[in-house]
Amino acid sequence: MMPLGFAGIGDENIIKKVGGNPETRKFLENLGFVAGEAVTVISENGGNVIVRIKGSRVAVSKETANKITV
Amino acid sequence: MEIRIALAGNPNCGKTTLFNALTGSDRFVGNWPGVTVEKKECRLKGHKDVIITDLPGIYSLSPYTLEEVITRNYLTEECPDAILNIVDGTNLERNLYLTTQLTELGIPVVVAVNMTDVVRKRGDEINTGLLSEKLGCEVVEISALKGMGINEASAAAIKAAVNKTPSIPRHRFCGCVEHAVARIEDAVSHNVPEERRRWYAVKIFERDDKVLEMLNIPADIKERIENYTAEAEKEKDDDSESIVTNERYIYIASIIKDCYKKKNKGKLTVSDKIDRIVTNRILALPVFAAVMFVVYYVSITTVGTWATDWANDGVFGEGWSLFGLYIPGVPVIAENILTAVNCADWLQSLIIDGIIGGVGAVLGFVPQMLVLFIFLAFLEACGYMARIAFVTDRIFRKFGLSGKSFIPMLIGTGCGVPGIMASRTIENERDRRMTIMTTTFIPCGAKLPIIAFIAGALFDNAGWVAVSAYFIGAAAIIVSGIMLKKTRMFAGDPAPFVMELPDYRMPTAGNILRSVWERGLSFIKKAGTVILLSTIVLWFLMGFGVENGSFGMVEEIDNSVLAKIGSGIAWIFAPLGWGDWKAAVAAVTGLIAKENIVATYGSLYHFAGEISENGNEIWGGFAAEFSALAGYSFLIFNLLCAPCFAAVGAIKREMNNPVYTAFAVTYQCVFAYAVSLAVYQFGLLFTGGVNVMGLIFAVAVTAFMIYMLVRPYKESDRFTRNVKVKT
Repeated sequence: MMPLGFAGIGDENIIKKVGGNPETRKFLENLGFVAGEAVTVISENGGNVIVRIKGSRVAVSKETANKITV
Repeated sequence: MEIRIALAGNPNCGKTTLFNALTGSDRFVGNWPGVTVEKKECRLKGHKDVIITDLPGIYSLSPYTLEEVITRNYLTEECPDAILNIVDGTNLERNLYLTTQLTELGIPVVVAVNMTDVVRKRGDEINTGLLSEKLGCEVVEISALKGMGINEASAAAIKAAVNKTPSIPRHRFCGCVEHAVARIEDAVSHNVPEERRRWYAVKIFERDDKVLEMLNIPADIKERIENYTAEAEKEKDDDSESIVTNERYIYIASIIKDCYKKKNKGKLTVSDKIDRIVTNRILALPVFAAVMFVVYYVSITTVGTWATDWANDGVFGEGWSLFGLYIPGVPVIAENILTAVNCADWLQSLIIDGIIGGVGAVLGFVPQMLVLFIFLAFLEACGYMARIAFVTDRIFRKFGLSGKSFIPMLIGTGCGVPGIMASRTIENERDRRMTIMTTTFIPCGAKLPIIAFIAGALFDNAGWVAVSAYFIGAAAIIVSGIMLKKTRMFAGDPAPFVMELPDYRMPTAGNILRSVWERGLSFIKKAGTVILLSTIVLWFLMGFGVENGSFGMVEEIDNSVLAKIGSGIAWIFAPLGWGDWKAAVAAVTGLIAKENIVATYGSLYHFAGEISENGNEIWGGFAAEFSALAGYSFLIFNLLCAPCFAAVGAIKREMNNPVYTAFAVTYQCVFAYAVSLAVYQFGLLFTGGVNVMGLIFAVAVTAFMIYMLVRPYKESDRFTRNVKVKT
């Protein structure tokens, strides 16, 4: 278990839990960030990450990435 | 009877492209989520009675940003006759999430799987027959860009609308959820129309605030419903909303397994590889800086200057040569014609000095603006725009804004009005208001003429003047961001940054020209209306006045009505170094439209008698009346003060709150005044001409700003994201 921000570039991880405030969490879930989903980090920039999820590419800031546990 | 068909789908899935193809309109298509922020209606080509509505993209019917609210309200409250749900075939899984919600609405839905050409090229296969069966609605394959299958799609949507058979969702949630939903349906059955009962029941189960508020359910029933929901939550050990989300994804995964055959799995795409470079830790900022430098350097100096010189000195000056053929300038031609027809002197003066002098001074900058618009359209259409938001987020967060604020600012370098509208994609209301307030600090296309005018008249066309204008704009945003964040109105962290990044795409020439044409035309229209009108009014005001005891046309412009009005307000600007009535008048006309400042000076100096031997006559006149320092202070004030009428109107619409609108405009003016004052007074200090009173004020203003910048942040006591918009 680690925050998404720590995942290595190119590794596929499975999301364990999505935290954060309810609104952001809801939005993340609508974008496909749900427990059990595979997520791959494409690029990383000072803790902000770009990930591949459900076939699309999503940029997530550091604070949010750290609330997604993989 | 009229049929209304709404286009709905995820952001960036091709709704506007399809809209253009179906209706023959020419909306610009960008390549980043949030290009369309307003709904737009148009008639279907060849069907006078069918209205197509283009809606902002949404990921789900639980809105997060302002433009998503617009779409949901339209779909649920105005009930179109059919929904044409555009689905990106290359990303079926995520797109179908919305589809499962749309089919619950009780409105006929037709699914158009877009980009099927790309899907085939990848060697993938979609079984549309099976997909249609599983989703409970008709499915057609299209390629909006290639125009493939679009007629079939619209025909299917019309047929569905005429038959009025609502789509019946085939997906079912797990037992305990279905049980709760069924009981909620029973409890609210008399409050809601039959075909939407399921939609409302699911939303109530999710505890959707807006639906609960709208239905106004009696307290006892509400309590019962809450019990049903809690029961299901207990069984699944999760909150109701997440349960539903999960159930939808599970259902979609089962559809995908049966209907979608993927050839290559998990390989890095070209866009991924580009992203590895342009967004990585080391190269992201240098790449970004280089892109910005190229865009603004080329459009302001090299190509831009060349275009402006040609237009100002050639077309609106003496004349220019086209492959050896000499073409006289517009004023020369006009003068010849007017003299030939023995036109009255005063009318000749109105046309040549007032109108051509004023409007011409503005139109002369259109070619330069077009160069900038080409670059901006390219940035928007290729897909880099969304990356800019990602790359700048880290920096913007430091002074209280999010990376999403950068997009409105970048668009604002073209024109402030679409820039302010683009702020709708920002989720947090405080961030959005701050972005609206600060976006117009960045020099827009209409401020380019002022910059070029000052640079040409006082600084020998030095490139640093334009560069400094953008830096001042950026600094004003940063300083304002930090200061405003420390007031109670705006305190609190910006919303977390989450944004989908589209694939990179090579923009088509047609699409770019469409955007350039649209934006360029609005400037030309403005020159032909607002600016034309103000130059005529100004001409009369500067032409008439009291001279030798009687009212009439004046010999000396200082005796004119305009001079009297200008002198009345000029004292306000004296501490900024330009207490001259002409400058005061120009600054005020700039509030109508920024180009007006140059137009006003054009009319003023033309009128003063030296009809242009070359266009630079205006520059000479200006240089004689302004010191370099005063000119620069004049530039700063006009760059930062309240924007034009149109932009203030946009601020008013987007703020949707008179107090915030008034605060924004006042803040901009006061801030502009303070900065100009400080620059002028400190400048005087260094050039040896100290004005004691002025300096004291300048020191006070600077000290206050520094205090605001360094004092600690206030803790925010509430985190609200209250989304309201008039559609």
